[in-house]
Amino acid sequence: MRLESDRLGIAAFRLGYVAIFVAMLLPLFIVIATSFSASGNLQFPPEGFSLRWYRAFFADIQWLRAFDNSFIVGIGTTVVATFMGITAAFGLEARNSRLGDLLTPVVILPLLIPPVILGVTLLVYFSALGLQSSYLGIVLAHSLWATPLVFFVMQSVFQRFDWELRDAGMDLGANPISVFVYVILPNVKNGIVVSALLAFIISLQEFVMALFLSNFQTQTIPVLAWNSLRQSLTPTVSVVSTFLVLISVAGLAAAALAVNLDFVAKRLS
Amino acid sequence: MSVQTPDSVLDRLWSPFETQSGSRRSLFLMSPLILFELLIFVVPFAMLVRISLSEQSQSLPYAEGTFTIASYIEVLQSGFLQGIIVYSFRLGIIATVLAVVLATFYAYATWRADGLLKSALLFSVVLPLLTTLVIKTYAWVPLLAPNGTANNLLLAVGLLSAPVQVVPNTLGVVIGQVYIVFPYAMLAIYSVLSTVEWELVEAARDLGAGRARSFVEVVLPEIIPGITVATIISFAWSVGAYSAPALLGAGSDRPFALEIQEQMLLNFNWPIATALSTIMLVLMFVSIVLIYVVLGRFGGDVSNAA
Repeated sequence: MRLESDRLGIAAFRLGYVAIFVAMLLPLFIVIATSFSASGNLQFPPEGFSLRWYRAFFADIQWLRAFDNSFIVGIGTTVVATFMGITAAFGLEARNSRLGDLLTPVVILPLLIPPVILGVTLLVYFSALGLQSSYLGIVLAHSLWATPLVFFVMQSVFQRFDWELRDAGMDLGANPISVFVYVILPNVKNGIVVSALLAFIISLQEFVMALFLSNFQTQTIPVLAWNSLRQSLTPTVSVVSTFLVLISVAGLAAAALAVNLDFVAKRLS
Repeated sequence: MSVQTPDSVLDRLWSPFETQSGSRRSLFLMSPLILFELLIFVVPFAMLVRISLSEQSQSLPYAEGTFTIASYIEVLQSGFLQGIIVYSFRLGIIATVLAVVLATFYAYATWRADGLLKSALLFSVVLPLLTTLVIKTYAWVPLLAPNGTANNLLLAVGLLSAPVQVVPNTLGVVIGQVYIVFPYAMLAIYSVLSTVEWELVEAARDLGAGRARSFVEVVLPEIIPGITVATIISFAWSVGAYSAPALLGAGSDRPFALEIQEQMLLNFNWPIATALSTIMLVLMFVSIVLIYVVLGRFGGDVSNAA
């Protein structure tokens, strides 16, 4: 009797997580499948197979420009966020100061503020500075979200680093910069690669702040996708979505190779 | 009572930063981020509050140099805006409870799994997490619309006699929003869960506790810090939901984020938009402190979670 209910419990448990697993990935799968639709309807299973929406995408100057914008903003965010996140995590690790205790909550806070409010706030601010609809404005906004991730990834990477190696380098007469380049960097470069990848992906995928802070000229892919979705549902958006999902899969695979999936996953929350 | 020279005051102000040697260098290294947070986060929010205290203007977004709390009074007295605030919090609570319960279960399953299965389960949350909100929301349309996959399937099998309107509808908003916050909640819980020792659970089971009991009495107290973080993230994001209500909701699904956008970008009424933002931030802050305190009661030390 007890065994019977045990087996039932295990079956229910398996069923439960398999159901969630499917629910998590099915929507993405459906989006990708509908991008190959032969008709103009957004339907799953798609009616027939064709690449016409892919051709439509590559023929559309607006989408291509949005792609360029996304990459400009993404690279900018990666540079800004990685630089600030690494220096701050390094500074914090070197000496655990009270300033660091104060900095950590401030760095987390933007992640908890609804992006619409961040968008409004920065729109007001950037308008006063004449930065509205500029690449720089979007890069700075995205950095508010990307930097905390870099900061926390690098903090845990630096924590695992054996600081006696640095002291040994110093004792042997190397200056701080060459100690950083020759002793510390080789040990933490995987962490840097992962945090840069994450920063790029976050910028590439963010859209609410970008919606407020961009215009027709500077809009990124998710913003253009959103705007065209609100007019009509066409499979072109599925094509774009497929590209965005594939970029994330590739980035994730690279990150998982550099460290491992478990490590990346734990740093993302 | 000693007379303080300016020097000693400065010393005192500096001393917290000076407790260990090398902290000047540490300060120098942290300065880009500190400066950034000041200029791109603290100052803009001060400006937001300042504009919310300005008079509304017919021709400009706001009347510069004026001071009034009229916009706050207007927001708090408007039945329409109150309804919007209530809707936001209701969505926040429902989505959070669903997301955190499901996330706890999934995190537990992932923790117990190993090898390929564990990687697959982790991948299934990390990939949606790294996918844009636009796709995460829009993906549900072909699935849940009246002529969508789910309805067609259930009609064909005979479980439904007429299609159910899930999208656009409040149910669709909740599904979309849970889907959006679930990965964050799951990973917050998982990262705490993975520090728990399975031997503890085994010991409880050896002593005769069933599955459910060993989870509630042994595992749950240990992962309260993770659950707290998961709850706070899910709540903050669901109260501030934008894309799910906009794309999956009916006309009555109107959280404050949509209202702010409209006031800001269509009506160019900045004092109302910023006053509503400030009020929502205060209400959310109070709720988050409350969540923190209440959940802290169950699990003791929450402070070492993040």
